Amino acid sequence: MEELFGLSMDIIMYVLLAAFLPVIAGVAVMAWRNRVMLKLGLRNIPRRKSQTALIVVGIMISTLIMAAAFGTGDSITFSIRKNAIDALGTIDEIIVSARADESDTIGSSNYFPLQRYEQLKVELADFEKIDGLAPGIGEFAPTINNRTQLSEGQMQITGVDPNSLEGFGRFNMTGGQEIRLENLGAKDAFINQEAADELDAVVGDELVTFVAGSSVAFTVQGVVDSGGLAGQGSTLLVRLDRAQEMFGREGMINSMAVSNLGGVFAGAEVSDDVTDSLRVLFADRAIATQLQTLLNRVEVLKQIELLRPTLGEELASDLSLLAEGLGELSMTDDFIGALADEDVQEEALNALNNAGLTEVESQASTLFAGLAEFRVLDVKKQVLDQADQAGSGVTSIFIIMGLFSIMVGVLLIFLIFVMLAAARRAEMGMARAVGAKRRHLVQMFIFEGTAYSVVSGAVGVVLGLGASSIIVFMVNRIFQSGGSGAPDNFTMFAHFELRSAIVAYCLGMVITLATVGISAYRVSRLNIVAAVRGLPPPIQTSETPFRTRLLAPLRAFSTPVSLGGSALWALVRLDISRGIGLLLRAVWAGLTSPLALFGAVFQALWVPMSHGWLTVVVGALLTWLGTTSDEAAPLRIGVTLVIIGVGLSIRTLAHRTGLQADIGDRIAYTFMGVVNLAFWVIPFRALRSIFGEIDGGIEMFFISGIAMVAAAVWTVMYNADLLLKVLTFVTGPFGQLRPVLVTAVAYPMSAKFRTGLTLAMFGLVIFTLIVMSILTEAFSTAVGDSERVAGGWDIQATVNFNTPIEDIRLAIDEKPSLNNVDIPSIGGYTTIPVETRQVGADEQRWQFYAVRAADDQFLREAGANLKMFDTEYGDTQEDIWNAVRADSNLVVVDSLVVPSRQGFANDELPFELEGIFYEDTEMEAIDIEVREPRTGQVIPLKVIGVLDRLTDAFGELGIGMLASREELDEAIPFRIPTTTYRFKAAEGVDVAQLSKDLESAFRENGMESDVLSELVDDIAEANRAFNYLFTSFMGLGLLVGIASLGVVSLRAVVERRQQIGVLRAIGYRRRMVQLSFLTESSFVVLMGTAIGVGLGTIISWNIVKDIQEEVETVRFAIPWIQIGIIVAIAYVFSLATTFLPARQASRIYPAEALRYE
Amino acid sequence: MSNPQLKAAVNALFCDKMPDFIITATGIHKTYDTGTVKVNALRGVDLTVERGEMVAIMGPSGCGKTTMLNCLSGLDEIDSGQVVIDGVILHDLPDDERSDYRARRMGFVFQLYNLLPVLSAVENVELPLLVSGSKPAESRKRSMDLLEMVGLSDRAQHLPGELSGGQRQRVTIARALVNQPSIVWADEPTGDLDSETASEIMDLMCQLNADNGQSFVLVTHSVDVGNRAHRIVRMRDGEIVDDGNGNGQTSGNL
Repeated sequence: MEELFGLSMDIIMYVLLAAFLPVIAGVAVMAWRNRVMLKLGLRNIPRRKSQTALIVVGIMISTLIMAAAFGTGDSITFSIRKNAIDALGTIDEIIVSARADESDTIGSSNYFPLQRYEQLKVELADFEKIDGLAPGIGEFAPTINNRTQLSEGQMQITGVDPNSLEGFGRFNMTGGQEIRLENLGAKDAFINQEAADELDAVVGDELVTFVAGSSVAFTVQGVVDSGGLAGQGSTLLVRLDRAQEMFGREGMINSMAVSNLGGVFAGAEVSDDVTDSLRVLFADRAIATQLQTLLNRVEVLKQIELLRPTLGEELASDLSLLAEGLGELSMTDDFIGALADEDVQEEALNALNNAGLTEVESQASTLFAGLAEFRVLDVKKQVLDQADQAGSGVTSIFIIMGLFSIMVGVLLIFLIFVMLAAARRAEMGMARAVGAKRRHLVQMFIFEGTAYSVVSGAVGVVLGLGASSIIVFMVNRIFQSGGSGAPDNFTMFAHFELRSAIVAYCLGMVITLATVGISAYRVSRLNIVAAVRGLPPPIQTSETPFRTRLLAPLRAFSTPVSLGGSALWALVRLDISRGIGLLLRAVWAGLTSPLALFGAVFQALWVPMSHGWLTVVVGALLTWLGTTSDEAAPLRIGVTLVIIGVGLSIRTLAHRTGLQADIGDRIAYTFMGVVNLAFWVIPFRALRSIFGEIDGGIEMFFISGIAMVAAAVWTVMYNADLLLKVLTFVTGPFGQLRPVLVTAVAYPMSAKFRTGLTLAMFGLVIFTLIVMSILTEAFSTAVGDSERVAGGWDIQATVNFNTPIEDIRLAIDEKPSLNNVDIPSIGGYTTIPVETRQVGADEQRWQFYAVRAADDQFLREAGANLKMFDTEYGDTQEDIWNAVRADSNLVVVDSLVVPSRQGFANDELPFELEGIFYEDTEMEAIDIEVREPRTGQVIPLKVIGVLDRLTDAFGELGIGMLASREELDEAIPFRIPTTTYRFKAAEGVDVAQLSKDLESAFRENGMESDVLSELVDDIAEANRAFNYLFTSFMGLGLLVGIASLGVVSLRAVVERRQQIGVLRAIGYRRRMVQLSFLTESSFVVLMGTAIGVGLGTIISWNIVKDIQEEVETVRFAIPWIQIGIIVAIAYVFSLATTFLPARQASRIYPAEALRYE
Repeated sequence: MSNPQLKAAVNALFCDKMPDFIITATGIHKTYDTGTVKVNALRGVDLTVERGEMVAIMGPSGCGKTTMLNCLSGLDEIDSGQVVIDGVILHDLPDDERSDYRARRMGFVFQLYNLLPVLSAVENVELPLLVSGSKPAESRKRSMDLLEMVGLSDRAQHLPGELSGGQRQRVTIARALVNQPSIVWADEPTGDLDSETASEIMDLMCQLNADNGQSFVLVTHSVDVGNRAHRIVRMRDGEIVDDGNGNGQTSGNL
């Protein structure tokens, strides 16, 4: 994995190291200079071993989550790379013909004379970066093993020339010995390991391959290792002349494999050079000259300049080469290389379009199509790049998923240090009284915190590796069970890069140390007398006059300057040691000045913010920013701030009017909590009706989760005494419970900050788990709706394009095992990869898409599954399908190319329609253009309908716009055999049996058939499995929640030891003491669970309602069992962590507890 | 005699013929073993206290005063010997019953007050009543009466942190007396107070002792406090050197 969130991993690592190493070095220097505080800080660690263990668990969670995310990303990258490298072997590029004629077929490569290869071989003889060029034929054909009667519908038939394999390495038998292709007879073949497995074939077996109605038999001479020319999927290797004969292409080939200098990996590094050189070689200079003249216009150059900054680095530099070359008299290789680059061609056409030169654009488009005789596919480099992107994408997803847990982990670290500080208040007060400064206390905590962090970071990285291995294991299981859309044979391998370990460790440490630093600063501000005497901390009043606060930001700047000045002056006076000391301080002050400035500004603004009016102003500004930019985050945070500001103003007013302080506070705080909660639970639709359309991504889920839980916890904590009264009233009749309850509720309520934090942590964790569970359930039910997904068809089957079925009905009649009566309808289509763009849209680049050229029957049976359509073409869905049947310029697109207002991202396809949203209910026809990539021929089409999103299960069963094949047959110069069929079974027919019968009857056509309902179930199952995987990953947060409760209980037991003695002295039984602690934890767990479940359910309901606007079948359902399990796990484990310390506490003799200080 | 009830009954019968002792301790031994050091805190102590008597235990630091109080009140285990409180052999009771016994029959006052910091004064006072199963409304009323008696009814809703040392000790005394115990154990009740406040607290305890006839066992360093008691028991090195009844070394008045 090379990038994360668009940033290079190397840069991320260096930045983190640059942040982390100086901090650690700083801590080390401080420790060396102040060994007393180091000793004091570290001595606390072994004092309480179980507490230390819980702290380490809590602190490591951030690192664990990040290490797991990175590990999974690395594993994905590594696995894709490995699978690709295993498949391609020494092949770096593949050269195919760019010119098609009527003899070519959809799905296969175009043929060209073998002579061209001979010429190229001579031309490339001196090009040292290429060490191998092999001519070949690659086709697919159904193949049967006569002995075992097993068949493979899509057997790759590779014809190779034994004399041209130099540079491609050896062909090895699976046993290891080298095979000699030149000894292969005309009726002999080698197969690779996959083919041997699929057909259960051994040496000597006779394999029969079917091509266009005839069959050819081969004898297996050996089984070779897969990879390279031996292919990755099932492959049959034959002599080139034999393949030519088989496919009726004597003297022709359809591809050339290129092996670059260097081994399997090193070859890819020179791929850019090789590709460029080959493109120059293949370019038609006459056409290039025409293009140079055509494009050399001021408007074009201007548009190119405008486009460049929007593009990637490589493409931008290629565009510069193009622009420079346009003005030259002669043509350089660089210019031709750029001109022949397909990405550059797109941008040039885009520039022409932007400049309004549509006529020139169409000429240029035709010229570009004819520019190169061959296309160079840098397959290995592309796959390696894709591997990096996939890894980085997966890491991002896991990190975003883990954000809640990381957040909870940060809260826990904060909580731990606040509690440790509370426990050590008296000794810290004593230290201050005997002369320790605040910074000494901060240092003491930082030493202790760093020690915890260093250990737990390392543990976290190791456990994160373990977690990613588990994820890899689970993903492999999902892949193996099918339905996930993963390619066959794809295996995930657990893999971890050292760089990722460093990044995860440093990231975890930076987060932890920052939290430790902030909490240490907070606890160092204690009142000495109150701390020593164990009195409650006095209410802090503003010590600094307002003016000083306002000047503080200036001081942050002036301190380093004045220190620097003093240092210089000291140096001038030759007071070297003082000068250097001052200089070091000046440098330190300079380095920390941004932090100091931030602190100073914050301090200066604190008073007006806390009075409320400034908070309202800031909130209003943010809201305004949000509404003008249509961004959800500033808008919602802004409104929240306004509400908080109003609450604070109420409090200020109440204080001024002499209202009793606690009543004023209650009104103000309850207002903030309740109104904010109400604001965050408003359905999105209602919000849209107030603020108009607003955009929000996945980050909004994170923000709204935190905001909702915070508001709920806030409200509960400020009104807990009322809750307490109700509880006391309810338990009134249960005599023994009353005293237990009194203490159990009084303690958490007296430490509101601590309880609130724990409650928030628990609430957040449960909230995320509930949302994940409900959404998983909602989507699983929707995707699993097979009737709707499959549009009424029962079976989907594909056949090999080399062995198409001429007339399926006639063919069925000829098969004794099949009966046309059993199959009332059969529809078929062919998927043609095309390039597409929308007429008049902003985006004018040609983007990949596909046309499903469907036969009449398919369109007739397509059913009522349109999301919307243009009523110009009919009033009913049937009318629309009839219109498509009648006019093959009319198409219906699938939902993947229609954007969603809710940011349902289209990540499957680069093509996207503009001016239409999936939520719309009506549409007007949209003009698009489709370009056949091999011929460059452009066909105008009109989109008159959009398929329902569930149809074909979000594209899992097939993508592409549906068009009638009649006219496309004429428009496209080569054959379009039907490759995909759908069958409808008659009433009472066993669908599974029919599917098997079809597959075996059409074995010679390579038919592979699936029962659609099973396929849909598999897809739904895979979806569910992935969601469970994510849910479990997010469940890591639960571990933090439980650990936090354990820490809190453990601390409580230690802190209250003496009080436990008192309780026992006045007659509390052992069990009452235990029960009191358990009730206390239960209060937090149950309250947190209630908040999490309640809010999670509400926000899920909102989300589901919102999605229903697009996919009506998504149902809101609460998975009670799953939620029950989550809640039970949370409760049982939390109580377990409380039970042990509570039991221990209750077993101490009262006298011993009373002696404890 | 394995049956504690039977044992208690026999004791009660036997005690009828004796002076009215509420506490009878015989041959109490207590050793603290920290693993490295063994401390013989009590070396066969015998002591009796009569009903309604106020006894002060005095002696130098580390002589075993607090240990004796803890052992007699059942807050700590003993190694050997027997403690009979009001006819009940305390250390034969299972832990739960001993807890119940404390809740109903004993009150405690400690040097460091040991109030629960999270409960208000009145909630602290009523806690023993709630533990022994009294009804909430009755408990609250009785607790308010007690606070009234110690002169703190206006501070009932304050948290301990908001009270002065003397006020806190009054709350502790109110808590110790709220369940009308037969015995009040007080460990250095004035140790943390100035002399004036200490004298007020002693006045209060003496008055309660006189009014209600409850027995008081005080551990103290203060001669003033000792002089207010009916009897002073002096200890040294884990033994009673003078029980105030004219008996010397380790001899009780049995």
